[in-house]
Amino acid sequence: MLPRMLATLLAFLCLWPGAVAAQEKQEKDAPVGVTHVLGFEAIKRNAKGKLSLQGGMLHFQAGMTQADLPVKSIQDVVTGVDSRRLIGGPVGTMTMLAPYGSGRFLSLFREKIDVLTLAYRDASGGLHGAIFTLPEGKAKAMKEQLVAMGVHSSTPEEPAKAEAGKEKKQ
Amino acid sequence: MTGARRVAVVLCCAVVAAWVFAGESPSKTTGQAATKHTASAIQVMAIQSKEVKLPAQFEMALYENLIEQIERSKRFQHVYRDGDETAAGAPDLVTLSSTVWGFQEGSAMKRQVTTVSGKTSIKVNVQVADRQGKVLVNRDVEGKVRFLGENLRATYDFGKKVVAALDENFVAAK
Repeated sequence: MLPRMLATLLAFLCLWPGAVAAQEKQEKDAPVGVTHVLGFEAIKRNAKGKLSLQGGMLHFQAGMTQADLPVKSIQDVVTGVDSRRLIGGPVGTMTMLAPYGSGRFLSLFREKIDVLTLAYRDASGGLHGAIFTLPEGKAKAMKEQLVAMGVHSSTPEEPAKAEAGKEKKQ
Repeated sequence: MTGARRVAVVLCCAVVAAWVFAGESPSKTTGQAATKHTASAIQVMAIQSKEVKLPAQFEMALYENLIEQIERSKRFQHVYRDGDETAAGAPDLVTLSSTVWGFQEGSAMKRQVTTVSGKTSIKVNVQVADRQGKVLVNRDVEGKVRFLGENLRATYDFGKKVVAALDENFVAAK
C-alpha cells in the first residue's frame, strides 16, 4: 500500500510542473482585454477589444471589426505605465459639473494601467505607431511573447516610472 | 435732439467703416499669399527625442496625431510616412521633421482636482525642408493639456498647431 502511495505521490510531483507550465502558457496565449488608443486605421480610437497572438499575427478584435498585423512587421515594442479615471468618458466629463466639488473628488479615484506601444512598417516601408492600454501587469507578458517571436524591444528592462513634473530642457 | 441723433449716426458710420476695413485682413492681400510655398506632397519623419527622453507612447502619439491632422487639413495631396518608398516619386515633396527639446509630464488627476496645476507640455522644434534641404519653415511648437483630458491629449494639440503653421506657410493643394 505504502509503495503505491509513494509512486502516486512521485508521479503527481513529476507531472505538477508540466501542468502548471501548460496552464501558464494557456493564460499567456489567451486574448487580453485592451483599449485601442490609436494606430490601427481600421479600428476606431478608444475602441475596446481583445488582443492576441495567432499564427505569427497580432490580432485585434473589437466587436465586428478586426485588424491583423504580421509580427515580423513590428519593429519595436515598449511597455509603460499610466493611470486613468475610474469613471471616464462622457460620464466622467459630466461628473466634473457635479455640485460641491464632488466631480473633483471622483477624479481622485484612478486605476493603474499598462501601456503597450508598437512601432511597425507597412508594405511600402511607412512607419506606423500603435498604442494600447491594458489592465495592470498584462503588458509585460504580451511584450515577452512578442520578444520571443523575434520582435526588438528598445526597453528590455522594465521601464522606470516617468518622473512627473520635471521639465527637461537642453 | 437732432444733434444727438447726428452724433449717433456718425458713430454708427464709424463703427461700420471700421468693421468693413478690418474685414480686409492681411491674409487676403496678395503680398502675403506670394510668400507662401507650394508643395503637393509632404513626408512626415519620425519624431526625434534623443536629447530629451520622451516616453514611447508620447513619441508615437505625436507622430500619428501629426499625420492625421495633416491629412484632415487637405493642405497636401499626399501625406507620406517616414520610410515610405513611394515618396521618392513625388515631384515637389517637402519633409517635416520634429525634434523634441522640452517635456513636462503633468498629472491628469492634479488637473482635474486643482484645475491650475498638473499641466502636460511637449516642446518640439518643427522644420519643413524641400528636396534640396532648404528650410522653408522652422518653428517651435508647444503641445499642451491644461484642463480636461489625459496626458496624451497634448500630442493632439501639437498636431493641430503644426497644421496651423503649415496653413500659414503653404498654399492648399488643388
